[in-house]
Amino acid sequence: MDKEVIIKTVDLSKTVSTSEGELSILKGIDLEIKKSESVAIVGASGSGKTTLLSLLAGLDVPSRGDVLLGRHTITKMDEEQRAKVRAEMVGFVFQSFQLLASLTALENVMLPSELKRDPEAETKAKELLQRVGLEHRMHHYPRQLSGGEQQRVAIARAFASSVEILFADEPTGNLDTSTGGTIIDLLFELNEDFGTTLVLVTHDNRLAERCDRSIQLESGMVVQVPEAAAAS
Amino acid sequence: MNISLSLKLLWRDWRSGELTLLLSSLVIAVATVTTITLFVDRLQQALIQESAQFLAADRVISGRSELDEAYLLKAESLGLKHAQTLSFLSMVFSADRAQFSSVKAVTDAYPLRGNLIISDAAFQKGDVVVRGPEQGKVWLESRLLPSLDIKPGDILDIGVASFVVEKALIKEPDRGGGFNNVGPRVMMNMADVPGTEVVRPGSRITYRYLFSGPEDSLTEFSDWARPQLPEGFRLFGVKEGTEGIGNALERAERFLLLGGLLGVVLAGVAIALSAQRYSLRHYDHVAILKTLGATPNGIDGLFITIFLTLGIAATVLGSGLGFVSQMGIVGILQPYIPIELPAPGMEPVILGLVTGFVCLLSFALPPLIRLRGIEPVRVIRRDIEESGVSNRLAYASGVLGTLGLMWWYSQDLYLTMMIFSGAVASIVVLGLIAYMMLRSGRVLGMQAGSVWRLALAGMQRRGPENTVQILVFSLAIMLLLILFLVRTALIDEWQTQIPENAPNHFAINISPEDVAPIRQMLAVNKIAAQPLYPMIQGRISQINGERSQDYDEQNQRQSQNQEEPDGPRSSSNRNLTYAASLPDDNVVLSGEWWPESYSGKPLVSLERDLAVRNKLKVGDELVFDIQGRELSTTVSSIRSVAWDNMQPNFYIIFSPGALDEFPSTFMTSFYLEREDKIFLNELLRAYPTMTVIEVDAIIAQIKTIIAQVTMAIELVLGLILISGGLVLLASIQASMDERFKQHAILRTLGAGQRLVMGSLVVEFCALGLFAGLLATIGSEITVYALETEIFELEYSMNPSLWLLGPLVGMVLIGTVGTLATLKVVRTPPTIVLRELA
Repeated sequence: MDKEVIIKTVDLSKTVSTSEGELSILKGIDLEIKKSESVAIVGASGSGKTTLLSLLAGLDVPSRGDVLLGRHTITKMDEEQRAKVRAEMVGFVFQSFQLLASLTALENVMLPSELKRDPEAETKAKELLQRVGLEHRMHHYPRQLSGGEQQRVAIARAFASSVEILFADEPTGNLDTSTGGTIIDLLFELNEDFGTTLVLVTHDNRLAERCDRSIQLESGMVVQVPEAAAAS
Repeated sequence: MNISLSLKLLWRDWRSGELTLLLSSLVIAVATVTTITLFVDRLQQALIQESAQFLAADRVISGRSELDEAYLLKAESLGLKHAQTLSFLSMVFSADRAQFSSVKAVTDAYPLRGNLIISDAAFQKGDVVVRGPEQGKVWLESRLLPSLDIKPGDILDIGVASFVVEKALIKEPDRGGGFNNVGPRVMMNMADVPGTEVVRPGSRITYRYLFSGPEDSLTEFSDWARPQLPEGFRLFGVKEGTEGIGNALERAERFLLLGGLLGVVLAGVAIALSAQRYSLRHYDHVAILKTLGATPNGIDGLFITIFLTLGIAATVLGSGLGFVSQMGIVGILQPYIPIELPAPGMEPVILGLVTGFVCLLSFALPPLIRLRGIEPVRVIRRDIEESGVSNRLAYASGVLGTLGLMWWYSQDLYLTMMIFSGAVASIVVLGLIAYMMLRSGRVLGMQAGSVWRLALAGMQRRGPENTVQILVFSLAIMLLLILFLVRTALIDEWQTQIPENAPNHFAINISPEDVAPIRQMLAVNKIAAQPLYPMIQGRISQINGERSQDYDEQNQRQSQNQEEPDGPRSSSNRNLTYAASLPDDNVVLSGEWWPESYSGKPLVSLERDLAVRNKLKVGDELVFDIQGRELSTTVSSIRSVAWDNMQPNFYIIFSPGALDEFPSTFMTSFYLEREDKIFLNELLRAYPTMTVIEVDAIIAQIKTIIAQVTMAIELVLGLILISGGLVLLASIQASMDERFKQHAILRTLGAGQRLVMGSLVVEFCALGLFAGLLATIGSEITVYALETEIFELEYSMNPSLWLLGPLVGMVLIGTVGTLATLKVVRTPPTIVLRELA
C-alpha cells in the first residue's frame, strides 16, 4: 500500500541576484517524499542541495513554485505561520551542530519543548540524552563537549519535540569517520524508533547508502530520483 | 508571551556571562546619570538657599509704599512664610552725638533665610540669632557705637521715641541691598515704627516684603503677583535680586545641566553599543530558535521580556548605586563644601529611573527588535543579511530619545537644538573625514612594515565599523573637551570678575566741597580708589514725546502673554551721573562715547538692559525729571556694564556739564584690607556727612559661592569622564569578536604575539589620533557656539588643544584599547577558533 506523501514540491525554483546578474540555484524541482521515508539529497558542491533543504524545511522562501509539508502549503505562508509549522512538524540536525553556547546540553535539548510550553520538557530531554549516551554530560556547555558529543546533543534536540520530519544538513560533515559512523547509527536508530521522515543532505556515500533512496542534484536540477529500494 | 522561557534564557545568558557587559553598562549608565542628577540637584538647592541669604528670603517684593494685604493673604494661602522690612534714612541721637543712619525695622519672622549675627560689643565675632530685636530695643552696627559714643545699655533716640541699645549688629544677611541702605545700620522692631513718628506720608521709605517656601508655591505666587503689581513695586528672586551672584548661579546651573545632558548622551551611546553587541551575538541564537519553531512575534516577546527584566534590574540597581555613590561623594567632599547640602529629594531618583528607562527604550530596544527579522536560513548560510526592522528605526528612536531627554533635562529648547544640531553636523562631517583618513591610512600602510600594514589593513577592512568607532571615540573625547573648555572659561571668567583688589567699600553722600580733600586723603593713605562720580536722583519723564509711564504700560501690554521682560523700567527713579570718560569695564555696544572735552547739547549713555527692556535706541529723545526740573537729552550710546565688578555702576550717564546746574553729592569705591579698616573711623570723623558702605563681607560671600560652584563643576566633569570611559570600553568590546577571530587566524598562520600585540597598539593609537583630531575640530566649533550664545563669554581659540586633543586621544584610546584587548593576545588561538566554529 502506498504511503501518504508528506513532502511535495511543485516547480520549485530559486534565483538570487548577484553582481553578474540573476543566478538560478534551483530550476523547477518537482518531487515527493513519503511518510517515514529516508531520503538523501546528493550532488556536487554548488549543485543546490542545501538550498533545496532550506526550502523544504521552510527556512527560506522560493522565487517560484510551492512546497507542501503535510497539509500545509508553506510557500503560501508568512514567517509567523511557517514558524508554527516548523514547531509542529520539523526537526533539524546541522553540520555545525548549532547548539546555543550559553545553554548546557540538557537546556539545549529542552528548548524545543519549552518553546511549546511542554511541562514535561526536562523529563523528555533527560530521556533523550540518556538515549544518545550523554547522561553523564547533561550539565556541560557545548564548548566542553567534543564534536561527536555536540552532534549527539543536536540529534537529541531534534527528536525532543516529537516531530514528523527530520532535516539533516551534512550531519557528519564536521566529524571524523569513526565518530561519523556512530552518529549515523544513532540517527537511523532514532529515526526508526520515532517513525520520522528523514531528509538529509550529504557528501558521505556511506550515509546516502543507508537511506531508502537518493535525489541527485546537478546544476539546480534533479537528474535522478531512484524509487525507494525497499518501500516496505 | 512565554515569560518563563524568557526568564530562563535570561538566567542562562547571565550565568554564561553573555549579559555581563550589557548589564554593567546599563547599571553604570543609570548610576552615572542618577549620581549627577542627585548631586546637581542637591548642590543647586544648596547654592540657591545659600544665595537666598543675600535676600534673607527666596522672593522679595520691594516698593516705595505699603503693599496691599491681598498679596500677603495669597502668600499665606499658598503656604509661604513672609516677613517685612522697612528702611529709611534718619538722624539718630545718643546723649551727646547725632549720626545720619539707615534704620531698618523688621518683623518677628525676619530673616526668612540666613542669620543675623550680634554681639555685646562692637567689632566682635558675635553669635548667630534667628530673629531681630524685641520691641523697645535696637541693635547698632559696630561703627555706630564709637561714632555715637554709646555702648549696649545706653539710650538711643529715633524720631520722638527712645530705645535701649541692646547689641552690636555684626552681620545681617540682606545688607547689600543697593544704595537705599546707605549709612550705618540701626535695626529695630517693626512694631516700634509708629512710635517714632518718623514715617509720614511722603517719606522716602523702602518697603520689602520677604517670602520663602517651596519652589512650586513661590513660582505660583510670582506668576500670580507679578502681572498685577502696582507701579513702583518690583518682585525678584536671588537671580534677579543680586546681579553678580545671579549671573554666576545661572551659568553654573547651565553648566551642570550641560554636564547632565552630556552624561545622558554618553550613557545612551554606551547602552546602544552594548545592546548592539548583545543583539549581534544573538543572531545565531535567534536563527536556531526559529528553526525550532519560534515565531517572529514569539522572538519579540522573548527578547522584550528579557530586556525589560534586565532594564528594571539595571535601573533599580543603577539608581541605588547612584544614590549611594552620590552620598559617598558628598561624604568625601563635606569638609570641603562650605555649605550644608539639603537632603536628596525623591524627584532626582525618579528622574534617574525615568532617564534610565528612556535610555533603554530608545538606545537598546531597536537593536533587540531587529532580532525578529533574522532569517532562520542563517543557520545554514551564515552570510545571509538580516532584514526586518531597518537601521533607520533604530537611529530615529535613538535620536528621538536623546532629544526628548535633553529637552526634559534642560527645559530649554534652544540649548537642546543647538547641542543637538552641532552633534549631527559634527557626526556627518567627522564621519566623512574619518572614512577618508582610514582610506589614506591604508595607502600609507602599504609602504610600511608588517605591524603597521597589519594594523592599517585591519582598520580599513572594517572600514564602516571603524568609522563608527572613530566617531564614537571622537564624540566622547569631544564632549569631554567641550566640558573642560567651558569649565575653564567659566572659572577664569568668575575669577577675573572679582579681581584680588576689587573695591570693597563704597563712599557716598560726599558733598562737592569735600571731593578734593577726600581724594587727597585717600591718596595720602595709599588707598586704591575709583574716580569720584557725582550722583543725582532723577527719572526719565518722557520718551520721544510720550509720557514714560504710558510708555511702560504699553510695553507691558505688548508682552502680556510673555513673562515680565528683564531689565529695569524706564520710569523708575535712578541715580544719575555724568562722566567725561567711559568707566572701567563698560563697553559701548552702539553709538559712540563723547569726546573727553565734550561740552555741547546734553547727551546720555544708557545701559543695555535698560535700553533693551524699554526699546530705547541711539538717537531717541529723552526728557528727565531731576529735582522737579526738566532736562532734554539725546541718547548717544548704549553700553554694557559689568554689574558684578564691585565698582560704582550707573544705568544712565550724562555728558560732562549736562548736570552742572543740579546740586549733587559724589560717590566712589575703594579697596581696604581688613586690618586697615580703622581708617574708616578717621575718614568718617573728618567728613561726618559722608556714608561708607562696607561690602567686603558680600565680596567674601560671592567668592565662597564661586568656589563652591567651581568645585561642583569639577565634580560633574569627573563623573562625565567615567561615562566617557564606559563608552570607550563598550565600543572596544563591540569589536572584540571580530578581533578574536582575526588574531586567532593570524596566529595559526604563524604570527607571533609581538606582531599581534604591535598591530593592536598601532591600530588603537591610530584610531585615538584620528578621533582626537576630529574631537578637537568639533569641540572648537561647539565651544565657540556655546560660549558666545549660551554662556555669553568671550571666545578665544585654544591652540594648545590642537596638540592636546590628538595626544589625549592617542594615549587614552591606545592604552584603554590595548589593555581591553590583551585577552585577544593571551587566549590560545585553538580556543578562539573552536568557540567561533
